[in-house]
Amino acid sequence: MESTQVVIIGGGATGAGILWDLSLRGISATLLEQGDIANGATGRCHGLLHSGGRYVVKDAEAARECVSENRIIKAIAPHCVEAVGGLFVQCAEDDPAYFEKWWSAAETIGLGSKRLSAEEARALEPNVGKDIRGAFTSEDGHVDVFRLVLANLEAAVGRGARFHTYSKVTSIRITDGRARGVHYRDTRTGEEHEIACEMIINASGGWAQSVAALAGIEVPVRCDKGSLLVLNHRLNTRIINRCRKPGDADLLVPAGPVCILGTSSIQMPGPEGLTVSPEEIDHLLELGDELIPGLREARLMRIFCGVRPLYVPKAKGGAGGREISRGYALLDHEAQDGLSGFISIVGGKLTTYRLMAAVTCDCVAKKLGVNVECTTDKVPLRPAVDQSTHQRSLHSLPQAVTEKIETRLGQAVNHVLDAIEAHPELAEIVCECEMVTRGELEYVLGKSNPSPTQTIADIGRRTRLGYGPCQGTFCGYKAMLAGFQTDHWTASEAATEFSAYIHERWKGQSFIQQGKQLDQLSLSHDLYGADVEVCANSGEQDGK
Amino acid sequence: MESNRYDVVVVGAGIAGLTAAGAAAHQNLKVALVATGPGSFVLGTSSVKAHELLEAGQTHELSEAIAFCREMARLAGCPLEEDAADGRWLPTLLGAFQRVALAPRALWQAAPREGASAAVVGIHGLTTFDENFMADRLNENARRIGSSCIYTAHQISFTRDFGIPVSSVRVAKCFDRDPSFRVEFASALRKAVSGAQYILLPGLLGMNSSAQQIAEFEREVGCAIGELPTLPPSIPSLRLSQRLEGYLRRAGVEFFRGYPVEQIEIHEDSPIRLQVASPGHPMILRGESVVLASGQHSASLLGGQCAGRDQQMHPLTAAGSAMAQNLFVAGSLLDNGSGNSGEAIEILTGYRAGTLAAATRGCYAGR
Repeated sequence: MESTQVVIIGGGATGAGILWDLSLRGISATLLEQGDIANGATGRCHGLLHSGGRYVVKDAEAARECVSENRIIKAIAPHCVEAVGGLFVQCAEDDPAYFEKWWSAAETIGLGSKRLSAEEARALEPNVGKDIRGAFTSEDGHVDVFRLVLANLEAAVGRGARFHTYSKVTSIRITDGRARGVHYRDTRTGEEHEIACEMIINASGGWAQSVAALAGIEVPVRCDKGSLLVLNHRLNTRIINRCRKPGDADLLVPAGPVCILGTSSIQMPGPEGLTVSPEEIDHLLELGDELIPGLREARLMRIFCGVRPLYVPKAKGGAGGREISRGYALLDHEAQDGLSGFISIVGGKLTTYRLMAAVTCDCVAKKLGVNVECTTDKVPLRPAVDQSTHQRSLHSLPQAVTEKIETRLGQAVNHVLDAIEAHPELAEIVCECEMVTRGELEYVLGKSNPSPTQTIADIGRRTRLGYGPCQGTFCGYKAMLAGFQTDHWTASEAATEFSAYIHERWKGQSFIQQGKQLDQLSLSHDLYGADVEVCANSGEQDGK
Repeated sequence: MESNRYDVVVVGAGIAGLTAAGAAAHQNLKVALVATGPGSFVLGTSSVKAHELLEAGQTHELSEAIAFCREMARLAGCPLEEDAADGRWLPTLLGAFQRVALAPRALWQAAPREGASAAVVGIHGLTTFDENFMADRLNENARRIGSSCIYTAHQISFTRDFGIPVSSVRVAKCFDRDPSFRVEFASALRKAVSGAQYILLPGLLGMNSSAQQIAEFEREVGCAIGELPTLPPSIPSLRLSQRLEGYLRRAGVEFFRGYPVEQIEIHEDSPIRLQVASPGHPMILRGESVVLASGQHSASLLGGQCAGRDQQMHPLTAAGSAMAQNLFVAGSLLDNGSGNSGEAIEILTGYRAGTLAAATRGCYAGR
């Protein structure tokens, strides 16, 4: 039986951050994730690296955390961040008193913002409305969430840690009031496994409640749905916040080649089975159009939603839950519920994932008697690409590809370059939107990749393949063939994988009512409609 | 007649637009067709699935529309084969089979043949097609539909440079214009597939080749050849579009390709005015009657006012009245629910709109 000191449940930013933090402290750990990396809230958010500006008025402590984490993440993971900066814009309809309140709070906290006149702001962001009153600058940025999670996981693997995706924890072994290990099922093969451990960390976000329930413990988490719209252009170069009390659709985040508008806030019974109503989309577009006039006319490419797993402290009298800040909470179930070796980290936000991991690991280290301080605020997640590697990739690949592949793979780009030098045809570009070469695709599918891929969507999370306007209709097919050619899948498995993948991509577009993306979607239906149907039917016959 | 005035102007070059232009040209009228690019019929599989035909309802008018469309394709040298009753099992991109009611002959010939041995032939360097994947899948799925056809995978290489990766468009263009390439291609196929009763290839046999030219190539190879669907650009679909365009040009239709219609103006006593966003300055066309068959783009031309259409194919205002007696819509304009455009409906509505638009010619003062 596999054994380790710590089992982490949940492969979002927090879980991955904990794995890295523990590995730096020399504590052995294995992370289990029921889906692929960033399966929950982490993979379904804007990817906003907060400056703190959004919280200055309401929650000074959260704002201060953001200020410091923002600087740390830019320093330790520059390849995951587009440090584009942000603007807090005052629209004509918005309360001027809030604008002034924001300014004084920002000064108190030390946000380092500058005050801009309407003309100055429009010079920076020409697409904002003509009737804005003014704006403040901020240090907001965009984080590639998948890359950030991978960076943490791969750095940890480099120090001996392990993680398993598609591994769902089915039970928690408890003897004498102490958690001793977990049973988990490989959700792809159905195989059952067990890991013995000294401590279990529940970092499962929206699923924290159900994971805790396996140990007979109650962890109250409220699931609050947010829907986001992906537009196929960057309408802005900086993150645009609306400077008013935070509400729906007041954030437009440029993310790689697209921009993301969000979000809504609707309470849900759980983290699964989320859908979006046409009214909700219309509402978001209407508000987005106030921020950027004409936004409604942009090509809407995809809609996705996720839940914010908000921690709701037990009513007064409930013992122990050590509430660290309004944003997140570390629950030591030994103190709270009399179960030792089991802790939960709940709530929080992407920007503070590292801090949440640090606080959790401080607690774990103390319990395990390991006297090593946290160093995740200083140690880079990945070494920068060295000059000779960079020259080598410029020699083999077009510059546009070089830039993208180096930020995705770092020094590991050498694996791809080795392959391309031996077989120049591997320089073929398989996904034009994200400049993914066949060489990179084969690397990601191959054994030297530290974060294994099981599905075509997994390839997408590691390379961004399929995130452009074709939504996988063309590049996903090519990725499927590559999986077949590299013996990753049999022909039948490859076709099943592709059908499942494209069906999922269709779902994110099914709410789109008009425009070019609808033409694109009908083409995709025309090409694969029969196959997806066949796949769904045979799945039913097999009782899947 | 002024040079920019037409009896009928059709907007859109999908199967609906081409059929409408054909139906109008059939009445010996002066017809123009304006389009930015090929329609979804051409970009996609250029076939009508059996279930689409079923959903469209087997009316007399639909049979007439399909018969018209088939006759047009036959005269264009790119015949469409039909089995409206049962459909034929044709391979999909993922190597499954779907029932198809209407498809170009080259695709039609890819249907499984009982007890036959079929050679699936890939091209070295053509990375969007994998013969091993396709043969494995077809064997598996042939059993599923109760066919005894056996598929084996083969690969051939070309000595000419068709790019890395090989571009199917370049191969198809070379097929069209270079007889020595066809000889080389046929001989490579003969060597690769001895013993097979027929050959399945990714679509490659010419961008503009006629059915007769393909038949000659088959004689050279010594067996029948069926083409398999590929990712766009689909060569058999482009071939159909090119042949239909050539035929319509010969029938007198003028084509304006590459630029969108950006505005239409309806006048009570004079032709409809269309403004085409050509570079430099806009080009103006005037149509005694106009058929809009450019899918979603048509809806925006109507200013988002279109609330449906009547039996006469007139777009309706929110109040339920026809926008104009000489304006018609066809194709998937109002079908945005399922995401699946339904090619049978395209042919039917294209035919109907083209015929009705042609019937308004009596009020054209200039004639």
